[in-house]
Amino acid sequence: MTQLLVIREQLKKICGKYEVYLIPIGKFLAALITFLVINGNIGYMEKVAKFPIALILALLCSFLPLNFIIICSALLSLVHVYALSMECALIVGIIYLLMFLLYFRFSPKDTFVVILTPICCMLQIPYAIPMSLGLVGTPASVVSVSCGVIVYHILGYIKESANALSALDADGVMAKFKYLIDGIVGNKEMLVMLIAFAVTVILVYIIRRMNIDYAWTIAIIVGGLADILILLIGDLMYTTNIPILGVILGSILAFGVVKVLQFFVFNVDYARTERVQFEDDEYYYFVKAVPKITISTPEIKVKKVSGKSAENADVQERSRERVSKTVREKAEGSAQRTVRANGTGTARAAGAGTSGSMPAKRPVGTGGVTRTAGSTGTARPTGTGTATRSGNVRTSAIGTASGTVNHDRNLRSSISQEAPTEGIRRTYHIDDK
Amino acid sequence: MISEQRVKLMTRLAAYEQREGKKNEEIGSYFRGDYISFHILKSALSATMAFALIVALFVLYDSELFLSDIYKIDILDYVKKLVLYYVAFTGIYVLISYVIYAIRYRKAKKRLKVYFNNLKRLQILYQRERKDKLQ
Repeated sequence: MTQLLVIREQLKKICGKYEVYLIPIGKFLAALITFLVINGNIGYMEKVAKFPIALILALLCSFLPLNFIIICSALLSLVHVYALSMECALIVGIIYLLMFLLYFRFSPKDTFVVILTPICCMLQIPYAIPMSLGLVGTPASVVSVSCGVIVYHILGYIKESANALSALDADGVMAKFKYLIDGIVGNKEMLVMLIAFAVTVILVYIIRRMNIDYAWTIAIIVGGLADILILLIGDLMYTTNIPILGVILGSILAFGVVKVLQFFVFNVDYARTERVQFEDDEYYYFVKAVPKITISTPEIKVKKVSGKSAENADVQERSRERVSKTVREKAEGSAQRTVRANGTGTARAAGAGTSGSMPAKRPVGTGGVTRTAGSTGTARPTGTGTATRSGNVRTSAIGTASGTVNHDRNLRSSISQEAPTEGIRRTYHIDDK
Repeated sequence: MISEQRVKLMTRLAAYEQREGKKNEEIGSYFRGDYISFHILKSALSATMAFALIVALFVLYDSELFLSDIYKIDILDYVKKLVLYYVAFTGIYVLISYVIYAIRYRKAKKRLKVYFNNLKRLQILYQRERKDKLQ
């Protein structure tokens, strides 16, 4: 975990330092992938569906605002669809326009989701999108995701029915329109996906805002399960032929992707380096404000050492708990048995010292004599654990000892000892005979 | 002599101006009513265009039926229905727009208030520096 945190801090540092180059590179890659995916799937206009054109467009997008990628993608897809059929281009154009007029006018930042959703659908991880948007977005993100799903299914439908559309040339323009609109509106898979994604976004959003531990993880899991459930119900209701195994595997994959994103992206404020310019009466200021880093990279060495000792401390803690529990159980057991053996009275077999959390009490008893051995501490400086009493001795560690000896005649006792100097604990089990 | 405190404050202000300051300043230059009504007007225009596109799609879809029945249908009733749908569609859209722009205006005003407070602090720092210089 510490390694991951260090990697995250390093990432933050790198992002802050090379932000000027990283953002254009990121835009370039996003644009290039988008254009290549469009060309690969609906590249009907061969003159445009060439790698150099995609490369030039991507280079152009890397220096322009993010929304330029969306405009280019929309135009590119329209051009390809136009090459297939003018009617298709008209319908796709109208749908793009509707999206812009009704929603993206309000939230231009969300437009990238429209591109990201179809790409994730092609990569078989569409379920990562509603989960991610539920984590970082608002319920309004439902509209963005829905637009992405609609675009994916429309383009997919056009791709599937390219041959049928060519065959409909003889029937006229209206027949094509009818065929296309029927296909788009009657696409039950799209409808089921829209509902599933909308519910997922809202569920994830509600749960991650709850005041509970691991809210984000719970939100992702619940969202993913709800997604699977709705898709399965949709499949049963409308026979959408959504591959169930694919949905489950895709959801698991999406869960992994979102967890990684949560760790490296969502929870981290990659507070970017600010470069600002201003002036007063006397000076011009060119200020570069660099965000502070909480875990610095050179501390890795220190972490390794402390990690080892932390491991020791953990072992010590567990061992201490085990020993104190054993001592308590033995002591109580022996006391009960002593009482039973010697008649009335209460007896506590205990010694003064520091044995876990066991209280050091004098034996109290009015009945029979209870033999107790209250050994106060310094048992032996070093040794291999030969007990002072006769019997079978088991040692779990070697070292300086100080502790308590509890035993009764004919009973098995335990010695819990601690070596304060080294922090190593040992337990002696002595069988008295 | 460069005042460290003042440079910090100025950097913060400049960063704000660079990020969202311009947008907020533009919003702040309107009265609330003007800002919201202006955007509602734009929204109504968008909704009208969107409605026209949707109607166009419907007409294209049912064009054959529409053309064959054009003389049989009651045009007045048809137009009434269309207007009713238009009013409902635009009304809902405008209502949503109103809520969104009202929230935006409130948020922008809040941020501008913080920004102006920082500007006042900067002014005080300047005055102090001037006083120190004079002494």
